[in-house]
Amino acid sequence: MLGTPYPKEQMHRIAYTKLTEQQISDKLGKVSGPTSASPLSDVFVGKSIRIVTDNGPALAYTFSRTDRLSVAENGGSAVNAGYGALTLSNVAFFSHMIPGTQRGYTVAVDQGTNLATVFELWFSGYKDNREVQREIYYGYVEQAGQQPPAARHIPTNRVEGKGFYWKQDAGAETLEFFPSAAYSNFVELSRLGGELGFCAPSDYIKINEDRYIYTRTECEFSGTFTAYVMDLNRIEQVGVRLGFNADDALEYYVFHGKGEWLGQLAQFEKFGDEKGNPVPAAAPGQTPAKGARRVYRPFETMAKMTKAEVDAACAKRSVAFAPRTTGPAAGMGGNLGPNTDWLAGKTFTLRYDAAPAMEYRIDDAENLNWRKESDAAWTKARYQAWESAPGLILFGHLLEGAPNHDGHAIVVDFDQGLVTCFNGFLNTPYFANEAGVKILFGVIEMEGLIPPKYNRHKFTEEMLGRAVSQNYAPNLTSMHLYTTPHSLSWIIFTDTDAGGLQWSGPASYVKIRDGIYFMYWLEEACNGTLGTILVNLHTMRDVGVGYNCGPNGLGMSAVGAHERLAGQFDIRRFYQVKSSGGVV
Amino acid sequence: MKKQPDSTRRSFLKNGALLAAPLAAVAAPAAIIADDNLKTRLARLEDEAAIRELHQSWLRQINGAAVNAGATGAPRPLLSNSKGAAFDQLVRRIALDHTGEPDAIDLAADGKSATGRFHCAVEIETALPQDCTLAQMARAQGSGFLCRTERRVLQVAYVKVGGDWSIAKAELTPA
Repeated sequence: MLGTPYPKEQMHRIAYTKLTEQQISDKLGKVSGPTSASPLSDVFVGKSIRIVTDNGPALAYTFSRTDRLSVAENGGSAVNAGYGALTLSNVAFFSHMIPGTQRGYTVAVDQGTNLATVFELWFSGYKDNREVQREIYYGYVEQAGQQPPAARHIPTNRVEGKGFYWKQDAGAETLEFFPSAAYSNFVELSRLGGELGFCAPSDYIKINEDRYIYTRTECEFSGTFTAYVMDLNRIEQVGVRLGFNADDALEYYVFHGKGEWLGQLAQFEKFGDEKGNPVPAAAPGQTPAKGARRVYRPFETMAKMTKAEVDAACAKRSVAFAPRTTGPAAGMGGNLGPNTDWLAGKTFTLRYDAAPAMEYRIDDAENLNWRKESDAAWTKARYQAWESAPGLILFGHLLEGAPNHDGHAIVVDFDQGLVTCFNGFLNTPYFANEAGVKILFGVIEMEGLIPPKYNRHKFTEEMLGRAVSQNYAPNLTSMHLYTTPHSLSWIIFTDTDAGGLQWSGPASYVKIRDGIYFMYWLEEACNGTLGTILVNLHTMRDVGVGYNCGPNGLGMSAVGAHERLAGQFDIRRFYQVKSSGGVV
Repeated sequence: MKKQPDSTRRSFLKNGALLAAPLAAVAAPAAIIADDNLKTRLARLEDEAAIRELHQSWLRQINGAAVNAGATGAPRPLLSNSKGAAFDQLVRRIALDHTGEPDAIDLAADGKSATGRFHCAVEIETALPQDCTLAQMARAQGSGFLCRTERRVLQVAYVKVGGDWSIAKAELTPA
């Protein structure tokens, strides 16, 4: 039977149903508790416990079976509910909903210390009802005749930099990376085929030096909530998944998983800084609302334009390399360095294998003339170029008059006679202002230069799993994490250099020379930008060209950063094509 | 009730002037002049002290506000004070520049105004243009500013109204 592991639409393209509160109640009403592929634990059966939390509820539980409990909140009447519990060493983890409501609890109890972390979960708490909300309470299991413990589980950045492969008991396989202390990056290998990685706001809570609690809520997507306890030495997890999938079916199950450690990235906080929650939900001095968390919602805020709007915006304003602001306000161009006049006075043809050849006459450091080989007329364009390594030039320009408002970001290697072009264009299928890209390989034809007949720059997986920080200017530092052969994510650092907000997009990597890579990423369902950078690991510096269209028009701009290697996850093996099909 | 000893600079000068009076009885005009000079000198010292205290308090207010706002979320303060002094840039912090020239406070002859010159290391922040994803994300997490430290001269104009000093104008000029 024919079949691929790939979804019809990737997560960022799915138009998730705006479920009504009634629809959610109806769906929740049909289940009594979480399912489980593994036998449920009887750790609590026959017991009654009372969990006391700081600034939160007191929960009195009585567990009658492995799947039934009663719970009384804050001394109220007891309610019967279905639940599921699993254990990981001495940590007991269970989850249940409150029947007749859209809320429930997920609890992790360290039976060694009697400390507990309680997640109150609920639907219909945000304008997108399906997005699970959570509030975290720290507390303990009351022990008769004993004083309450002073210690608590605590938010932490100690998980930051880690990455794991997980295989759950029901078969779901994921790669999960924690390059931020506030967000996480996950690759759905089995559910979605592992083409792209996605990002979600996350919580990281320390139980002890070996075990931590992790959560993510797939905001901007299905709104599904995942939480698990993980043991970093055993590489095991027990957790829960709660939410509505792309078919609007309720997924509510507890799971056990085993995995592999994939590596550790560097952290950039000061030594000794182990604080969690680096991006507080509320401003200093303000009390966050229940369940508040800082969420990056790029799709919600992006301009979504039609082709007519794009054409009008481009006609109104199309600017390549607007005069650069100097000093700190240069933003992402702060570490760009001077552009080069290396191409000035040269005439050459870039002969692409699968696109019309482009002829160039370069006037000076900022002006060129281009035409497609079959055209008679030349078109003037403003450009800028940077010499990343001797004889290796990155330059970019817009193609005035192109029906899709194309822009070229081009790496020409005059030592090898090779060219790679990321051809950005607009009028793409989802939103007309969202950039698409064609990757053009080819050779340089120029007097005195004999190009190769067969050799070309090549796609590469050498960057796969790597994390590279980019400092564009003081207080403007990000990090790329190359999570799949076809996507990357970017992490923004906080003022204390903790990993903060994170997002991802489709990407591709081309090897130019040893240690030099030309890569792009598309900020799809974000702000539509095509970002390109030429990374030079010898100089630890990148230069790049951004291509973006919005209500203010079309722009091509330059970026430049000083880089640091932050480590590499060992993940290439998860993307190899197997003879049995699939990617795992 | 036992009277507490008065050991302030004012009492010392005052007592000193009284003790000196008999010896200077034959030169009354000179003593009066000396007393007037002392009073004038004293007033100037007190004014300078009041201005320094005002200045330090103002800097604490500015630097404290920056620290509180710096964690996340809150809008960064434009350097200003309740008396209306403000800069045209976002200044996060002002620290003494010990490699610069000494501070100078010059009182006007009428004692109603003064100017101050303070060599400082000034941390200036510039809001990132919100035209790129990174800047938008940085702003979303409460950052989104570029910081730099520059040597500047803080030039302040003070006025005395109703016996109290206040800042009329503050300006940062190149060092």
